[in-house]
Amino acid sequence: MFLNIWSLALTFCGAIAVFLIGVAARTGWRVIRYWDPASDDALQIGLESETWLASTLVEYGLALQILTLLLFVLAADQFSHVIAGAMCATGSLLADPFGMPTLYVKLAGVFLYGFWLLLHQLDIRVETYPLVRIKFIYLLCLLPFLLVDVTLQTLYIAGLKPDIITSCCSVVFAEPGPDSGNLMGIPPRGLLLTAFYGTIIGLGISGGLLGRSKIVGRLRTLLTVLFTIGWAGFFFLALAVITAILSCYIYAMPNHRCPFCLLKPEYNYIGLGIYFTLVGGAFFGTSTGVAALLGRHPDLTAQTAHYRRTAIKISLLLLIIFTILTSFHYLRYLISGGE
Amino acid sequence: MNRALEKQLNLLDYTLASLRRRKLKNLGIMIVFAAVIFLVASFQFLTASLTATAQDLLAEAPEIVVQKMSAGRQEALPLSYLAKLEGLYGIRTVAPRIWGYYFSETSGANFTILAVDPALMPKGDRLFQALEGKLPGVGQGEVVLGSGVAADLNLAGRRSFSLFRPDLTLKPLTVVGNFKADTDLLTSDLIFTTPDAARDLFAIPEDHCTDLCVYVANPREIGTIAKKIAALLPATRIVTRPQISQTYRVVFGWRSGFASICLLTALAAFIILAWDKASGLSAEEKREIAILKVLGWQTGDVLLLRCWESLTVAGLAWLLGCTAAYIHVFWLDGELFKPVLLGWSVIHPQLKLLPAVAAPDLLLIFTMSVVPYLAATVIPAWRAAIIPPDAAIR
Amino acid sequence: MADADNMILLDAVTKVYNQGRLNEVTALHEVNLAVPAGAMICLRGASGSGKSTLLSIIGCIIAPTSGRAIIAGKALSRLPDRFLTIHRRQHIGFIFQQFNVLPELSVLDNVTLPLLPLGVGPAERRARGNKLLAHLAIDHRANFPAGQISGGELQRVAIARALINDPPIILADEPTAHLDSKLSREFLATMAELKREGKTIVIASHDQLVTESPDLDSILDVKDGRVHVS
Repeated sequence: MFLNIWSLALTFCGAIAVFLIGVAARTGWRVIRYWDPASDDALQIGLESETWLASTLVEYGLALQILTLLLFVLAADQFSHVIAGAMCATGSLLADPFGMPTLYVKLAGVFLYGFWLLLHQLDIRVETYPLVRIKFIYLLCLLPFLLVDVTLQTLYIAGLKPDIITSCCSVVFAEPGPDSGNLMGIPPRGLLLTAFYGTIIGLGISGGLLGRSKIVGRLRTLLTVLFTIGWAGFFFLALAVITAILSCYIYAMPNHRCPFCLLKPEYNYIGLGIYFTLVGGAFFGTSTGVAALLGRHPDLTAQTAHYRRTAIKISLLLLIIFTILTSFHYLRYLISGGE
Repeated sequence: MNRALEKQLNLLDYTLASLRRRKLKNLGIMIVFAAVIFLVASFQFLTASLTATAQDLLAEAPEIVVQKMSAGRQEALPLSYLAKLEGLYGIRTVAPRIWGYYFSETSGANFTILAVDPALMPKGDRLFQALEGKLPGVGQGEVVLGSGVAADLNLAGRRSFSLFRPDLTLKPLTVVGNFKADTDLLTSDLIFTTPDAARDLFAIPEDHCTDLCVYVANPREIGTIAKKIAALLPATRIVTRPQISQTYRVVFGWRSGFASICLLTALAAFIILAWDKASGLSAEEKREIAILKVLGWQTGDVLLLRCWESLTVAGLAWLLGCTAAYIHVFWLDGELFKPVLLGWSVIHPQLKLLPAVAAPDLLLIFTMSVVPYLAATVIPAWRAAIIPPDAAIR
Repeated sequence: MADADNMILLDAVTKVYNQGRLNEVTALHEVNLAVPAGAMICLRGASGSGKSTLLSIIGCIIAPTSGRAIIAGKALSRLPDRFLTIHRRQHIGFIFQQFNVLPELSVLDNVTLPLLPLGVGPAERRARGNKLLAHLAIDHRANFPAGQISGGELQRVAIARALINDPPIILADEPTAHLDSKLSREFLATMAELKREGKTIVIASHDQLVTESPDLDSILDVKDGRVHVS
């Protein structure tokens, strides 16, 4: 279903992203081959200049990735109006085997680009550019990842068949299936909610402890590991809880378990706030672990320590906002006498 | 954190001053860009509005329509089929409908003749709200006319006119009502009458009709019931309201998409222009950048400056283009592009488009315009930023 | 003299452009130079002598190909451009030939240009800029477009801009080339005052008025990429 402005926009963005990251990857390849910090010749100076370009292109790539993630979900919602049996974006994503994989890959992309930018920012703050090779090898790996993203997206769009009136005698009808508006079945609520709020409290405590300079050595390392893994796990847990439980309260419909309709104007685009804080918080939370690993390099100790302090603060702030946004409707329901 | 924000504000400040200094060049780019965005946005707004209008109007259409097919073409449906549907659970009411096209040789227009008993429609008692006058009475040859038909027949105050039966005898008809202007999208070419008058006009046998309108109690059951009807009446075509709705969306979406592809050539030409303009640095601009570099501006700072410039020009063009498109579509009725989306016909409904612009539409237009512009100007921006500082002291 | 006492120290510094290519050019050969803090020196040489390259190295614009270059306590060799720039903006103030102000910007905006990428807010920028302009007696021109002021005033704007970050080193490239003798003398007087305040000053010039100034501590002749003390 390419002849549709949303499909065109997505395809267009994919092409632009491939161009930008392609050029960045070319720089990466040149740096890996020719980088010689001891040299003073025009090639080395040229490569130093090109690293500015590469980082700007990856920044653009990240912005584009976030944009296409949002666009993809909005497009899926638009497609649902013309696909048999699809009530909302969930239906159109499930209508084609490439729908959900494309979404997962795009989501992963946001983190991957973000981590590259973290590596870059740490690297350029040290005169010896200690991470330059690792950074650009990583960059070279981003290109095939992006190609997978664009391929899945293209296959998804190509596979969509709009349900329109045909001239034949009898048509197969797609009834809305028992769960076509629902991405997940009904899970054990109590367990999930306990895990959800328990993890939030755990992250708050460990983040708060990590902010205190008295915590050092092994305890600090343990807390960092807990914080990082905690955030990684919380990301998936939160998505499940939002989809299966909390979204119903926002929609005020017990059988509408969809993570995408939150992005629609009818719900005041609350989904934007929820997902922005969740993805942002998860990124900064997990990146503290990445920074801690990099901090073992003697040149990077000071830089990574500074970054970790900032990242923990930002992730906790985003966690608080996320908790408020997701819990507000649920709490309001409980307080106003439901259940 | 504060310093970082201040730095961005400082650079934005410098950007705006810099754009003002090269007013002519930047204004030129901005206006051309805004024109391209205007074209894309007009299509998007028109499509959104037409789709929304069509959805609104279809809300009252029957949930299922049953048509008899023979050799792949529609033919008159025997009323005995009604009995077969009686046992189906979930059907509120079934209304036999007669309709067809009448070709007016004088004007070359096709009128749609439609006849159905309002008593059999769930909201039939409200049909009178769509017209001025009264509904046609049984056996009188009374009709209600749509505005396009009334204009085409040029009755000039007369209430009676005649149409030809298939055997070329004249069927006299009397106008008892006119459909209101705001129903034009559905009624402009419509002549609404009683089933017996329609049968007489088209020479359809008494025990036949054109199709059956099936009204269903629970919209979620449409698919299930349609399947059951298909099983009971195998030689029929079952059309559901969701399918009609989707078809309209696909048609508008397809036409809009097709038009957008044509506009992409304009966009591509503009992007090439943008690349070219961004690449060409005057000697003065080169000198300015070299001076900034000597004074301690990083390559990254200059790059940021150029990116802010691109974003400002593109952002303003986007605002201007979208505003102009909004005015064009909703105040000027989208005159430039209506024919592409509404198709060809002699009778065009007078359509008042209602604004149906949502944030996703604006994001879409932003993606199709600002994003490629930024992508096209990033490499020229970098080339400008790497001008060596010693160029200022040679 | 010990390294620590020298604001500028070049030890066997060589600069080669386009190394290994057909258009390879050696701009500087094994240059040795030691300038103590608070000194004022003059670099004299024709164009193409390597004077601009020497100025660029002292000004932390480029790093040497080989040899040691220590400017304001930092070794430049092997320093990526990013860090050169950071060091330059903290330690070097430039006064260009023809002053190189941006004519459409106001005098104050020109003077505070170096502060923009540092994230200095508008109020603080105005305060620092006006203070310097007052010190140089041109604060009455603060809001004039720089393209509309006289040559003498331009000279003072250029000096103010060079001083905005309070750098320890001032570099001036042919500062009197487009000035009459009165303005040239005024310029030298200002430089002498800065020297008394403890700044290290390097002036590239072949103007007799400059080379005969009594405040100069030494004159260095640059010829064919080599430096001789005059």
